Amino acid sequence: MTGPDDSKLITQVAQGNESAFLTIYDRYVSRVYGLTLHILGEPMLAEEATQDTFLKLWSRAHQYLAEQGPLLPWLLTIARRVALDRLRLEARRPMLSDSNDPDNAWHVLPDSESATEESRWRSLHFTVQALHPDQRKVIELAYYQGLSQSEIAETLGWPLGTVKTRLRAAMEKLREVWNDQ
Amino acid sequence: MSRDEHHPHLENIPAYAIGALDAEEGIALEAHLKTCASCQTELAAYRAVSESLLMATPPKQPSAELRKRLQSRLPSAQKSARPRFAWSFGQLAVGMALVLLLVLNAYSILQIRSLQLTQTQLARQYRTGQTLISMLSYPTTERLAISSDNVVGSLLLDKDRNIVALIVWNMPQLEEDKTYQVWLIDPQGERVSAGIFRPESGQAYTTQIAFPKQSLSDFVGVGVTVEPAGGSDQPTGERIFKVDF
Repeated sequence: MTGPDDSKLITQVAQGNESAFLTIYDRYVSRVYGLTLHILGEPMLAEEATQDTFLKLWSRAHQYLAEQGPLLPWLLTIARRVALDRLRLEARRPMLSDSNDPDNAWHVLPDSESATEESRWRSLHFTVQALHPDQRKVIELAYYQGLSQSEIAETLGWPLGTVKTRLRAAMEKLREVWNDQ
Repeated sequence: MSRDEHHPHLENIPAYAIGALDAEEGIALEAHLKTCASCQTELAAYRAVSESLLMATPPKQPSAELRKRLQSRLPSAQKSARPRFAWSFGQLAVGMALVLLLVLNAYSILQIRSLQLTQTQLARQYRTGQTLISMLSYPTTERLAISSDNVVGSLLLDKDRNIVALIVWNMPQLEEDKTYQVWLIDPQGERVSAGIFRPESGQAYTTQIAFPKQSLSDFVGVGVTVEPAGGSDQPTGERIFKVDF
């Protein structure tokens, strides 16, 4: 990453500096759009959610506290919430069609990014991809579609206990792998 | 006792960390977390997993239009995009309709006030007319002639009911800062005010009725003078006429 660091930029954004805001946009828009597109599945909706996310960043920049963590996770947390809200607004539920099948969702290749950033997300991405398909499916529906365990059980027609076991196993696996990194 | 018996909600922490726990179980876990440091540590570890999931989706570039749209929402663009005269035809029509409505409203208010004034005048004339009729029909009412230059008329004097009425023709119109004042005259020549009046426009005669506090028997005559608007304590202006009882 070149240019001013995030904490300096976000401070400037909180003071109404549009140039700093656009620098953050250029730096992270592909991450935000990647997440919203993954959740919403439609480019138009994903762009709207991305726009809403950055407008929230513009209006809430003063709420960001650098000591609580880096800017990107904070921004992506906003993006996830915006996209899930949009998903509920549209009353959409995962169709499990070819285009939206959680099994397929992890096979999209990224755009080019800086080497460090790319290796970081690739590592996280492939860890998820390496999960057992049933575990990955549960993570997809819970985290990226905003469903509760009982809703997942209803959607997939699995017993609730099975959903709980698979979700717990997936999370334990991810924790184990990411702790080692 | 196993670890799960000490921490009955432990197995729910991973689902809670990614927001997938159902509401009831979530409430129970949150209550437990308040007092259990071990489960709080466990939750922190799974929160880190949750954060990593945020970062695990493939980056994608949106259209270049998105950046332009976003820029157009920023304050500087909003300011420069604001036209000097941004009213659309529809807004202009609504604005004109509102102005017209205000004008009509103001006109209606003026009309209502004018009608209220006319109504008050008519009511006053009606009461005066009724009083005059009652005085004329009263057996002891005296009628005295008023005659002075061009001014003529009658003075009705009802000492029983202590009412004095003037019906005067050809009273000259007055300037805005002047008024006519009625004076009761006692045997020593002292004057006591019995009210002020102005001729009503558009009418050839003027009526004025007075209900003095003192008995009319204490007085020997009535006079009318021109005084500054609001009246005077004692006569100061031109006398119009005087009638002796």
